[in-house]
Amino acid sequence: MASSSDLDGNPPPPPPFHFSDDERGSSSATTDIVHTIPHSLTSSWIPRKRNLDEDDASISWRKRKKHFFILSHSGKPIYSRYGDEFKLAGFSATLQAIVSFVENGGDSVKLVRAGKHQVVFLVKGPIYLVCISCTEEPYDSLRGQLELIYGQMLVILTKSINRYFEKNPKFDMTPLLGGTDIVFSSLIHSFSWNPGTFIHAYTCLPLAYATRQVAGAVLQDVADSDVLFATLMCRHMVISLVGAQKTSLHPDDMLLLSNFVMSSESFRQVDLARFYLSDITHKWTSESFSPVCLPRYNPSAFLYAYIHYFDADTYLILLTTSSDVFYHLKDCRIRVEMVLLKSNVLSEVQRSLLDGGMHVDDLPPTPCSGSSHLIHNSLPSDSPERFKEPDLGIAGPAGLWHFIYCSIYLDQYVSSEFSSSINTPQQRKRLYRAYQKLFVSMHDKGVGPHKTQFRRDENFVLLCWVTQDFELYAAFDPLADKALAINTCNRICQWVKDVENEIFLLGGSPLSW
Amino acid sequence: MGCASSIAARDSRQLGFPNSENDGGHDAKNLRVKLVLLGDSGVGKSCIVLRFVRGQFDPTSKVTVGASFLSQTIALQDSTTVKFEIWDTAGQERYAALAPLYYRGAAVAVVVYDITSPDSFSKAQYWVKELQKHGSPDIVMALVGNKADLNEKREVAVQDGIDYAEKNSMFFIETSAKTADNINELFEDFVDYATSRLPPDILAA
Repeated sequence: MASSSDLDGNPPPPPPFHFSDDERGSSSATTDIVHTIPHSLTSSWIPRKRNLDEDDASISWRKRKKHFFILSHSGKPIYSRYGDEFKLAGFSATLQAIVSFVENGGDSVKLVRAGKHQVVFLVKGPIYLVCISCTEEPYDSLRGQLELIYGQMLVILTKSINRYFEKNPKFDMTPLLGGTDIVFSSLIHSFSWNPGTFIHAYTCLPLAYATRQVAGAVLQDVADSDVLFATLMCRHMVISLVGAQKTSLHPDDMLLLSNFVMSSESFRQVDLARFYLSDITHKWTSESFSPVCLPRYNPSAFLYAYIHYFDADTYLILLTTSSDVFYHLKDCRIRVEMVLLKSNVLSEVQRSLLDGGMHVDDLPPTPCSGSSHLIHNSLPSDSPERFKEPDLGIAGPAGLWHFIYCSIYLDQYVSSEFSSSINTPQQRKRLYRAYQKLFVSMHDKGVGPHKTQFRRDENFVLLCWVTQDFELYAAFDPLADKALAINTCNRICQWVKDVENEIFLLGGSPLSW
Repeated sequence: MGCASSIAARDSRQLGFPNSENDGGHDAKNLRVKLVLLGDSGVGKSCIVLRFVRGQFDPTSKVTVGASFLSQTIALQDSTTVKFEIWDTAGQERYAALAPLYYRGAAVAVVVYDITSPDSFSKAQYWVKELQKHGSPDIVMALVGNKADLNEKREVAVQDGIDYAEKNSMFFIETSAKTADNINELFEDFVDYATSRLPPDILAA
């Protein structure tokens, strides 16, 4: 609530507009080899076995564009995105040798460039993480991804693994991670579709304010001394979230926890009869109780998670510090479930999934009233007909293809649906990579932080606007008019404000850190 | 901590206790059995449970994380109803230290191995010893050799299973979650076996 009035009452002063030097056609934009992936990038991705027959001698392995490795400080492989860890022992030892060679010189290695490849290192005590990539993603992005992979490992094992290495430097960690390949590969996959992985915020499923209130109220009702956090999620999106005793949940923890839950198939045993007949007395239920660690909350200790799926997409996570309150949490879940069924929350959730979020075609025509604006009238424009919307065919207003709006106060972002101009997984992945690049350049501590940026290349026009309150990333048709694009961004901000109580979780958010 | 009392009640390690919601008039006993499945990863614990609870077999079975809790009520021939509350635990090494969390309140334990894997048979023996040491003193155990349909790949002789079970006063059966062979028998016969071994005072209906 506070955030909405602040946004309305104190619009940030219109920032001066800086144009970066990148406003030029890029000739190197098509480095991604386009190969058809038969399903959408997000929900229908089917986890598959990694190519276990590969090793570092295989041509197919060498051709992979992005490798991730986890190894121990003695050079023992722990995880590899592709290939069999066991067969990669020699390669792993080489990586370890690079790290220790630099360390012996009293320094630490961060990045090695080799032709088109970047080799990014992250050292976390006895654990080394390495990414080898030819995707042209910025160093900061890749390093951020390694941080998340390390975090995911802590979710499964906590930082207490370090103790094993103190006792035995040659400790083999792979058995401890048995069966978790899918958790890591699902996280790595999300780097190319989930903006939360680089924005470090979370997103909510769009819902009517009253519906979300109902969910929030019942979660609040069960959040007592035994329940540290109660979260109702739909896929990677939050429906509602309550934290007890002013504790807060970091967005990265949310991301890693939901990835862990969603990628672990054993949690998702849904009795369809139970769901469709809304019969909660149906004779069997499946629920899970598992230790999990939230690295930003406490990297050294396990919490216990009670996990229950209400349907194929919607699940409840109750986090507790006590290992013996399963039956209490089970009762809490039954209370939550009764309310959700009685108030039709679950069917509203399914409807929202079908309808999708903000569609760029629905952008209201004109900004309503005097809230914040992105542009001074005196700013230069690259088109004389700046206020006439050109017909750009199938796209949103002014050639708008997509946007991401992140509220700094709320630690939440909203990502629009894609216009039909961006309809292949490859195009979406390319756009996310471009956003990531933009994000890094906007937050570059060396030359930044920047406030605005306008980029044009042969794939799209990208516009970014960062204020104290929000960050907006928007993508347009490459032929889009600059002034119109800027005008459209103002309209997006107004639109987001108009619907914020449906797209964000407002009021007393336990999510701020 | 409002739940403390209810937990104490449920942790009372009783195989069965009177169920107030009786089906009226019948001379039926209603039992509630807290059961935990233990064993190496990949031996088919979840498959056994899913076959029992849902009558299904999923060949692309998923690795269990932490433990899953399932319940199923069956009627025995003498019209006793038995409600099973089942902890299906993860076999992964990292969860071994957490097993007491799940077997602590269990009246009966089912220790599963894979008849094609001697390693899993050793692991089963580890779990039996662990339960003897740290489980409830009254706990009744079953030893289950699963994947009996893979008889041509068998590496653990039936007799080895029988002998070990006998030596440790355990119920023994070989099952196949894939073909459903002996799955219902496991749960029904084991309950019979367990009820006969538990102190009579906690069986009052």
